[in-house]
This record gives sequence, structure tokens and C-alpha cells, in this order.
Amino acid sequence: MSTSTSRPPQVYRRGTWARITEGLRYGGGIGQWSWLLHRVTGLGILVFLIIHIIDTFLVVAYPELYDHTVAIYGGSITGLPTSWSMNGYYWPLRWAFRIGELGLIACVLFHSLNGVRVVMVDFWPRASLHQRVMFNWVLGIFVAIMIPVSIWVLLPLRHAPEMHSRVITSASM
Amino acid sequence: MAYSGIGRKVRPNGGFELAWWFFMRISGLMLVFLALGHLTITHLINSVENINYAFVASRWADPQSGWIWRLWDLTMINLAVLHGFNGLRQILWEQILSPSKRVIASTIIWGLAAVLIIGGSYSILLFQENREYIQKWKAEREAARFAQSARHIQ
Repeated sequence: MSTSTSRPPQVYRRGTWARITEGLRYGGGIGQWSWLLHRVTGLGILVFLIIHIIDTFLVVAYPELYDHTVAIYGGSITGLPTSWSMNGYYWPLRWAFRIGELGLIACVLFHSLNGVRVVMVDFWPRASLHQRVMFNWVLGIFVAIMIPVSIWVLLPLRHAPEMHSRVITSASM
Repeated sequence: MAYSGIGRKVRPNGGFELAWWFFMRISGLMLVFLALGHLTITHLINSVENINYAFVASRWADPQSGWIWRLWDLTMINLAVLHGFNGLRQILWEQILSPSKRVIASTIIWGLAAVLIIGGSYSILLFQENREYIQKWKAEREAARFAQSARHIQ
């Protein structure tokens, strides 16, 4: 191999954008995508975890505020124009939280299944010979669980939640 | 730390990083059951629309099974925060290479983790049921149900 025509090795750290894109790069193929998904789902779960610990703190500190907060997750909100909301129920809010909830379940499920695969490879090196099969199992189990779960989580959106008005009365104190 | 390619970490040779390596795997396997079980109970068996103060109190303050839920949540919160923030640290450590910047980043990461662990554990361990508030909520729910059924009749 002639050294005169080969380019000098690329410098790894060139700038913020290059660092981000390099940080997302890997060897390519299945390994790259499972690694990237593991990283992205993990960061997503961490953001949710921080919010969830803070809102649960309200259970102890301010019960009224806790009920007010979880009522918003269910689409009940005060202070919107009456033409927007139906008796304190604003459906886009509930839809957004339900879809977000499904996203959270998907993140935790994928991170769990892929994590188990990573642990298997770590503690049983011969498993790396079956990489492709193992990742297909991860995807297969993920899809098989997510189909019924998605139906179960999204189906209640057909109707306005029963008794949404009571949450408003308890929250508007 | 050893790399077998860009971003690919292999098992550390020893010391603190090896301890974290084992922690990530053991806590991860425990969290598979704790977190997926928690999601099943709160999002599939119950739903966001049923969960409120009275629901949380019915689990944590139950005279028979309350300690099981508290132990579950306490284990989950501690493992999840450490697992999550160590994962964040591993991602950041690929970008932050200078030791002085790593000290600053460590301080922020573990400071935030400590606040969440202390605050979360405080909520779980020191929770006391506010019976007065639950009674008031039940009365309001009954009143709202009555008003709703009255609307249906009309």
C-alpha cells in the first residue's frame, strides 16, 4: 500500500456537529442500530424518570397539586376558552399524553429486551456468533408485545373519559 | 478504557469502571422486572385517568401490602436513577475528555442524581395517608356522579 496517496487519518474532534454525528456512528449494520436505539431510548427514559420523581414528590408535599397534575395527563384542564374545551376536557391534551405514554412503554420495552441481549453477549461470548438471530428475537418479541399494548392504550381515546368533571372540581380548590 | 472501535466499549479491566460495568448489568436485569411490572400495573391494568392521590395512598398506606409497594418503588427508584445517570455519564465521557471538565460534569450528574434519590426516597418512606383529603375527594366524586346521572335523566 502506498503511503504517498493515502490521506492522513481523520481528526476525530472537529466541532460540535461533527462530534454529535461521530457520536452516533458505529460499525454499521445491526450493531449500529441496536446501539443507537439503546442510547436514544435510555436517554428518553431518563428524562421521563426525572419528571416522574418530581411529580410523585407532590403526593407527599401537595396532594391537591398532585391530583391537578395527573388530571392534566388525562386531558382535564382549567382556564381554556370554553369553545375549545368540553366541560374542562380538552381532547388533544389527552391524545398527546396517551401517545407519549405509548412511546414511554415502547422505550422501556425495547431498552429491556435489547439490554437482556447485551447482557447475554457479555456473559456468554459465544452468543455473539448468533447476533443476527438474537436481535431478530428482540425485534420479534418487541413487535408481538407492542401490537396488543398499542391497541389497549389507544382504544380508550374513542370516548371522553368517564367522570372527567370530578377531577376539575377537586383540582379547582 | 478500551475501545474496539468508535464508541464501542468493551468490558473495563478493573477498578471503579468495572464495578459500574457489573452494576449496569445487574441493575438492568432487576429493572426489567421492576419497571415493566410497574408499567403494567400503572398503565395497562390501571390508566392515567384512574391514578390520583387516593390510588397512590391505597398502595403505599395499605396496612398489609403497603411495605411491598414501598420496597418495590424504593428499589426501583434507586436502581433506575443510578443506572440512568451512569448511562448518561458514559455517553458524555465519549465527548468530555479533559479531566477538569469531567470533574465539573461529575458534580452536576451526581448532584442531580443525589437530589432525585433523596427526594424520591423521602416521598416513598415518609408518605402518610391524608384521610381527610381522601374523604373530601370521595364526597366530591359522589357529588359529580350524582350531577352526571341527573344530566342523563333530563
